[in-house]
Amino acid sequence: MSENQLSAVETELYDRQIRLWGIESQEKLRAANVLLINIRALGSEIAKNILLSGINSLTILDDGIVTEEEQEKNFLLSKDSKGKKIAEEVLLKAQALNPLVKIKADTDSPASKDPSYFKEFTIIVATCIKTDLLLKIDKVCRANNVKFIFGDVFGTFAYSVSDFQDHEYHEDQVQLAGKKRTHEGAEKTTVKVQGVVNYPELKKVLILPNTKQNADCIKKSKRRNELFFIMLSLIEFRNKKSRNPSLESKENDIKTLQDIKKDIFQLYQVDETKSKLDADIFEIVFGEAIPVCAVLGGVIAQEVIKAVSGKEVPINNVFLFDPITYDGKEETVGV
Amino acid sequence: MNVPLKEAVATSKVLVVGSGGIGCEVLKNLALSGFKDIEIIDLDTIDVSNLNRQFLFRKEHVGKPKAVVARESILSYNPDINIKAYHDSITSQDYGLNFFKRFNIVLNALDNRAARNHVNRMCLAADVPLIESGTSGYSGQVELIKKGVTQCYECQPKPPQKTFPGCTIRNTPSEPVHCIVWAKHLFNQLFGEDDPDQDVSPDTEDPEAKIEGQEHTETESGNIKRASTRQWTQEIKYDPAQLFNKFFKNDIEYLLKMENLWKTRKPPVPLTWEQAASHEGDTAEEENNVKSQDMKVWSLSKCTKIFADTVGVLKEELAGKTFLVWDKDDKPAMDFVTACANIRAHIFTISTKSRFEIKSIAGNIIPAIATANAMIAGLVVLHAFRVLLQDYQKCPSIYLRQKSIHSKFVLAADKQIEQANPKCYVCSPQPFVNVFVNTQTMTVKEFETELLKKSLNMVAPDAILDGKGMVVISSEEGETEVNNDKKLNEIGIVDGSILKCDDFLQNYELTVAINHYEPQEKDDPLYKVVANPDELKAKESINGEKNGSEEKKEEESDEDDLMIVNELEDPQEGSSKRRKLNPPEDKDAEDDDLCVVES
Ligand SMILES: [Zn+2]
Repeated sequence: MSENQLSAVETELYDRQIRLWGIESQEKLRAANVLLINIRALGSEIAKNILLSGINSLTILDDGIVTEEEQEKNFLLSKDSKGKKIAEEVLLKAQALNPLVKIKADTDSPASKDPSYFKEFTIIVATCIKTDLLLKIDKVCRANNVKFIFGDVFGTFAYSVSDFQDHEYHEDQVQLAGKKRTHEGAEKTTVKVQGVVNYPELKKVLILPNTKQNADCIKKSKRRNELFFIMLSLIEFRNKKSRNPSLESKENDIKTLQDIKKDIFQLYQVDETKSKLDADIFEIVFGEAIPVCAVLGGVIAQEVIKAVSGKEVPINNVFLFDPITYDGKEETVGV
Repeated sequence: MNVPLKEAVATSKVLVVGSGGIGCEVLKNLALSGFKDIEIIDLDTIDVSNLNRQFLFRKEHVGKPKAVVARESILSYNPDINIKAYHDSITSQDYGLNFFKRFNIVLNALDNRAARNHVNRMCLAADVPLIESGTSGYSGQVELIKKGVTQCYECQPKPPQKTFPGCTIRNTPSEPVHCIVWAKHLFNQLFGEDDPDQDVSPDTEDPEAKIEGQEHTETESGNIKRASTRQWTQEIKYDPAQLFNKFFKNDIEYLLKMENLWKTRKPPVPLTWEQAASHEGDTAEEENNVKSQDMKVWSLSKCTKIFADTVGVLKEELAGKTFLVWDKDDKPAMDFVTACANIRAHIFTISTKSRFEIKSIAGNIIPAIATANAMIAGLVVLHAFRVLLQDYQKCPSIYLRQKSIHSKFVLAADKQIEQANPKCYVCSPQPFVNVFVNTQTMTVKEFETELLKKSLNMVAPDAILDGKGMVVISSEEGETEVNNDKKLNEIGIVDGSILKCDDFLQNYELTVAINHYEPQEKDDPLYKVVANPDELKAKESINGEKNGSEEKKEEESDEDDLMIVNELEDPQEGSSKRRKLNPPEDKDAEDDDLCVVES
């Protein structure tokens, strides 16, 4: 039996998903090496789902220390994890989710890593990092054909952004064919349909105030989902403050966010008077709603599976979760 | 979380029904969100194929009760929660109205319609809000059910499970699934429990086969032999060559004599044991890895060899037992069905399938993945937050769809909650339903099992014949058994009769109007249930509902996270968003392939 063929144990374990995406997809997953940057509430959800899917290896890069608050919202930690290194503390429970996957903990700071570190992976998944690091990683990824996706949860708002470069995919479409008899129906045939999605590089997606070099890349779109600007505002808040909005400084943080949003609207030439966003939209961006982490963790892991397997239509390229209606929509930005 | 929500979460009592794919995820979300008082109930034990998504379970837990292990697993990262686990069926009499009334909210994570219907009724009766959810492959949905506010789970008639007329299975198969159903019936004929509805020999009653003006007089084969198939099999000591020639040569030759059947169809080609065993074009290459055994379509000669081998093995297994029960995970039983389905498909020029594919269909396996369950379970708990604050209007149904190039939506929420159907036979103030049965041939017992229990989903019904005040069916043991074998008309249930039916456990009363009905066409159902009398005319013109077709329906899959797939495809009036999500090409039509055959 060759290296990349599935064993009987694996086909039994992964049976219910092989029946959905096929054995070739499963074999590609089995060869995939994934880097996960930061394993907090959202990160642990992503880790769970991709470990269960049956990848080859998962490297967890996180230099954080377990706090009481972190322990309470991360099911990969336990009571005695407090004060220890988070990347190492999740190992035991992460490994239990799937003993077949090789898991490695790396407690270095993501920002301290040499660019060449990021070359070695099939796909990189990042949460809770600043734009300069995102752009640095994206550059390495594009040069080395490594797929990249990142996302965050702010309160009940959530998003993800993908750069799968020039991504070829296929999907099975079922078509009705042949005779149509009254009682027996038509026979269905499955056709393999191929497609390509060309992702823009992240510096064309994350255009923020004061990154003038890119400002002329902004394409005005009247139908832009306004949650995209909320996403940019939150990213810019983190860039400026090196932290997420906090309930302890709620009023000030909301004011800062409003100011940032104003700048972003200006940059993107959005008429604020026509905005349909709630005036108090930033009320709901504090903390991380656990169920929203579960939703986004599912979405991001599914995109990882699509990126690795080349099966099914991936989200191109921004996913926005509406904190009020709970709609989850694709928004194509930067192309 | 704001203060009122935090308080509501910390003080609420939650029931999670089912701890499978969605159940595990829901439990984790509840525990991490600060819920302190949770009860879980699940009848199932853990299987290896659960472990790719039911993440609270590990290999060493296989065979143990799901509810119990899920509880232990949750406590291992948060010991401060009160969790009570029941390894039991939610439809048991032990979980009555008072049980349900103790909860602030019930979260369903079930795998079958019967249990969903039951919990729906219990929550309506107890007036406890219920969040219903399900996934199937990449798709899923979340729906709030709250008495007097939203529609209930049974407000919209669910599309019946796909079934096949007996003569399609026995005489004129045209799709692989017909051959697979036939092969499972053959298993039961040879090794399983006797069931006259699962005959595999030619059906001489096929109306299509009759020549006009001439009643058939054949007696030499077909139906006549059926009673003795098992006996004959034992007489020939399960000789594979003789069995093969009977089912794949003689019976096919008999079918060819029913010439009317083949006027518009390609006639089948009888196959002898010798021809099959040395079938040309089959090479000797037999790789023995998992992929080729399971994923490659077996050659005809391989099918023939496996037929002979498995008949031998199953014969031994049967020795000393009354019958075997077919199980997709039992290797010889699954191999037997694969071989027989493909041999029959070959005879009828139908495409043959791999063992892997046949197992999906024969075992009614609905694919299930961790990611879809995670998303749906997240939405369930988000809705639960709003429900606890009694913000019901903010909980319209949400649909998870497979991403398509035609749509931007991954999660699509309805604009508003769906109003109850005023004619719903479950949640309307005076539940009423029309049933169409043959009052001359149906027995009281059949009426109780097929209509009241299977179709109308009562658990322990009582029925009183209106006007006469006579109890015809009683849930009390020994009260009405004397009626069991009587025909409906013999105890006065005739066209126009009204039955007052009642399920004490569900706290549910239903008025049933009896309509005498005799199936006309061969595909007509044996009986029908129509909730809304206005639909009667329209329904009749499209040949009625297929509530009681020849094939027994059995919709329970082995997946905890199963939702009935058709529901997703249900075009709903007044929801343009959902229509938008279905592109004209509607590639989601593949879901229809997941037709359900009995398992
Ligand atoms: Zn209803």
